[in-house]
Amino acid sequence: MSVHEQFADDLSLYALGALQGEERLSVEKHLKNCPDCRHELVQLQGDLALLAFSASGPRPPARSRERLIAAIAREPRRTAVRLMERKRWWIALQWAAAAATVTVILLLLRQNTDLRQHVASLDANSTGQREQLLQAKELIATLTSADAVHFTLVAAKTPPQPQGKAIYLRSTGTLVFLASNLPELPPQKTYELWLIPTSGAPIPAGLFRPDTHGSATVIKPPLPTGVEAKTFAITVEPESGSAAPTSTPIMVGIEG
Amino acid sequence: MSRAASNVVSPDAMLVSAIRSGDEQAMVQLYERYSSIVYSVALRVLGETGAAEDILQEVFMQLWRSADVFDAARGSLPGWLAVITRNRAIDSLRKRRPEADITDVIVSIEPDFVGAAESSRALEKIRGTLGSMPPPQRAALEMAFFDGLTHTEIAEKTGEPLGTIKTRIRAGLLTLRKAFNP
Repeated sequence: MSVHEQFADDLSLYALGALQGEERLSVEKHLKNCPDCRHELVQLQGDLALLAFSASGPRPPARSRERLIAAIAREPRRTAVRLMERKRWWIALQWAAAAATVTVILLLLRQNTDLRQHVASLDANSTGQREQLLQAKELIATLTSADAVHFTLVAAKTPPQPQGKAIYLRSTGTLVFLASNLPELPPQKTYELWLIPTSGAPIPAGLFRPDTHGSATVIKPPLPTGVEAKTFAITVEPESGSAAPTSTPIMVGIEG
Repeated sequence: MSRAASNVVSPDAMLVSAIRSGDEQAMVQLYERYSSIVYSVALRVLGETGAAEDILQEVFMQLWRSADVFDAARGSLPGWLAVITRNRAIDSLRKRRPEADITDVIVSIEPDFVGAAESSRALEKIRGTLGSMPPPQRAALEMAFFDGLTHTEIAEKTGEPLGTIKTRIRAGLLTLRKAFNP
């Protein structure tokens, strides 16, 4: 990337908010027409965030949390969901997330497909329906949370293998994909999920990188509706993804 | 932070999405996750706990009122919070109205601050990088960022040429970047 040299120093100052008057206008005018310098500005904001993180350490007093909660409760908000005493439910959910295997959770998810479809169509103004929607959200949040502990149960003495589970609803083009034990990617590479239709070319179904535990999720990637899936596959692609697979699939799905 | 595709939903994006729909519990979770970063930055800039608490409140209330301004395209949520907190704190320090539009802030950043272990490693690396900088370079960078001094003010304060200060600030930022993108 080539940042225009005459703006190199000024871009840093602009990111810091240190430019005024003509100098500032000049940089802003240049940024409008220069994608390279706009990209560099985003990078500089990231550099400033690193600098900000160097101050990390002190924690706010407990009263700040209470102050925020009280202020939120006072805010008029049409669709506000009041903070409820959900501690017992929340603890139970966390226990379940830690204790259950990914497989069991996925099974549960499938068994509740009808419920989730129903939740999706609920009237947002109904208190009872809103409760169900919240539960579905919490379930998805648990499945995708970086803090959730995942266990994969396999036959004894068998090392955990890479696994992916794609749950696909053809009529709405909705896809939920969860993977575990994926190998680490080389630099500048990404995993790409493909919907392999019964006829026609593979359709890109999302890019993902596993977290430090090898887990990854793709929730509702943009897909056309009504496409019959023969299977799903995963390839390793360049970081920006590909419109068609450029490598041999490392994982291919079987229905069931 | 791994810059995965926008159709991968991160826990932060899910929390922000829940906040958009008015979920107070999600707001509390986000606060538990990032209040320390926001408070630390505000405290470092303002040097006074009461003022830092006010900025903390202001930043999270802004997120609550207009969660729409943050989406995955804005980059890292903790990075974004840290930068807008610094900007708000500097505005407060200078007793001026907020200058920068928070929708202008997009942050590209590497470290993942969600997990405690990653957070600790990244912090160690950042402090190590700052510690290895030539002292005048680090001082120029910190005066510009945490004290909100302009390059002109830093040049006057240190007696160094204006061009030298500009170069030190940029070089310091690039050194930090390089530490995470060798």
